[in-house]
Amino acid sequence: MDSKNQIKLKLVNISKKFDLTEVLRDTNLEVKEKEFIVILGPSGCGKTTLLRIIAGLEKQTSGEVFIENINVNKKDPQDRDISMVFQNYGLYPHMKVKQNLEYPLKINKVKNKEEIISKWASKVKIIEYLERYPKQLSGGQRQRVALARALVRSPKIYLMDEPLSNLDASLRLEMRSELKHLHEELGSTFIYVTHDQIEAMTLATRIVLMNNGKIEQIGTPQELYSSPSNVFIGSFIGSPPMNFIEGEINNSFFNSNNIKDLKVNNRNKEKVYLGIRPDDLKISENGIYDFKAELFSSEYLGDGYLFTLKLDEKKFLLKSQKINSYKTSELIPIMIDKNKFHLFNFDSGNIINN
Amino acid sequence: MNSKFLVKKITSYLLILIFAVWCLFPIYWLLATSLKTNLQTNADPPMFIFKPIIDNYRLIIQDPDIWHVFFNSLIVASGTTFFSLVLGVPAAYVLAKFKFKGNSDYSFWILSTRMAPPIAMLIPFYVMYNNFGILDTHIGLILAHISLNLSLVVWIMRGFFEDMPKEIEESSYIDGASYLNTFYKISLPISRNGMVAVGILCFLFSWNEFLMALILTDDNAKTVPVGISKFVGYQLIKWAELAASAMFMIVPIFIFLVFFQKQLIKGLTMGAIR
Repeated sequence: MDSKNQIKLKLVNISKKFDLTEVLRDTNLEVKEKEFIVILGPSGCGKTTLLRIIAGLEKQTSGEVFIENINVNKKDPQDRDISMVFQNYGLYPHMKVKQNLEYPLKINKVKNKEEIISKWASKVKIIEYLERYPKQLSGGQRQRVALARALVRSPKIYLMDEPLSNLDASLRLEMRSELKHLHEELGSTFIYVTHDQIEAMTLATRIVLMNNGKIEQIGTPQELYSSPSNVFIGSFIGSPPMNFIEGEINNSFFNSNNIKDLKVNNRNKEKVYLGIRPDDLKISENGIYDFKAELFSSEYLGDGYLFTLKLDEKKFLLKSQKINSYKTSELIPIMIDKNKFHLFNFDSGNIINN
Repeated sequence: MNSKFLVKKITSYLLILIFAVWCLFPIYWLLATSLKTNLQTNADPPMFIFKPIIDNYRLIIQDPDIWHVFFNSLIVASGTTFFSLVLGVPAAYVLAKFKFKGNSDYSFWILSTRMAPPIAMLIPFYVMYNNFGILDTHIGLILAHISLNLSLVVWIMRGFFEDMPKEIEESSYIDGASYLNTFYKISLPISRNGMVAVGILCFLFSWNEFLMALILTDDNAKTVPVGISKFVGYQLIKWAELAASAMFMIVPIFIFLVFFQKQLIKGLTMGAIR
């Protein structure tokens, strides 16, 4: 079998209840060898619980977990051959950095401990801190130690629970690229949990987007960005988020209070949201426009402007490279990119194929 | 502002001073009494200025009975401390870290051993000890003291273990360590301060405990507090010798506390991880 397509992890109908609250519902997922899977979702969506179930730190209420085609339901975390980086690092405070790295090797009776430790310590740049205690290190340094401790073994899967969320912005950026580099260099399987959609977009080979205890969509970052399967995904992925305009389809035309007779490939009569990304709206310069909206504010971003506009007392966003020549409260003519908008059912929020 | 600060400082020092005098005066009085003659101890009004003598101490040190109770106390207090920790710390760990049916019930039962005053248990203890033939033995008194100390150990250590971030132990599981290994190599060393603090409290309790020791022991196993009371006679109380022997008994505790003071405070005021 081609190793690239080998299934590393398989989750079948995983559900989890804490007392009476259901935090995970019938979750199914297949992860292939060498994938960098990012589980993304707002806080409280069950993503960390899912990771802890994979690790064996939490027992699922029902469902099966397979690691390399072996059912590990009854296996403790010790016997699953995985490693994990925790949000709060989970370093052993009474041990020096070196002993922290040595611990998993000792437990698993690995040979050449010194060699392995110095290899990884230099790779994540903590070689000068080996004789210090965790409390003598900064957040970023602790993070690297936690990472090194996860890397000294060669487990089947690397799990990471928001490992960058305690770092400041510039350090986060730096560690992000290092993680991505590491993943390619190691050629192993990563499962990474975050609530930060930019982290997810930049790191993932595939994103698993979760909301309210269930998976909303699984796909590459490009797929999630360009064809979100519902309103939630459209609004969660992308910065700034997608705009939604309420309206109705009738005889293949979309109509709202302001937008008149926009041609769509859908004949059913139904209430819908029209979803469009801020980049796919343009300020019209030739007098042809789809609708006019009032300028609320404009922000300079360096590579262009972000306009906040008001339509029917609702705000929406437009991104443009053009220099702003409008004043606040002025009406701006706007064009919709006819190939880029999406229609979502008003009640279910699900996408309508057009 | 400066004078306000000064007033605040003086007031707080004054309060501390009053409290310190309040606490230390009895010990000073004990020390002073131990350096007086028996006649001087009974002087009325009490004498503050006198020529100190060390005859009382000379007498005490030569008294084999005093050494006997001293070593009894050492054995009983050490034994109590050791076994209370050996039994209580793992129990506290399990109660803090593992969910199982009846977890909180067990914790409550353990605490409930302290809800009745010890004197209420004294007669049953005496009868049982008599039946088992362990009256007036070290092990007997150690058992009684453990039963009174265990709830303290379990409850303080349980809090300690609960405060420990769970990621630390989870990291250890993920690294492949068994539950027992994690307990020995990670959880125990991290909670060392707490164990030292609880150990000191156990030792102090056992060293000072009077009631159980008085009833459950006789010549063979009697401890310091009981031993000292022998200076209270039928017709007269030998205050000077009593004070000297009391001082003699305080000293080990005092040295002990001076050495472990830092850890006692750390253990009682801070969580497991700082």
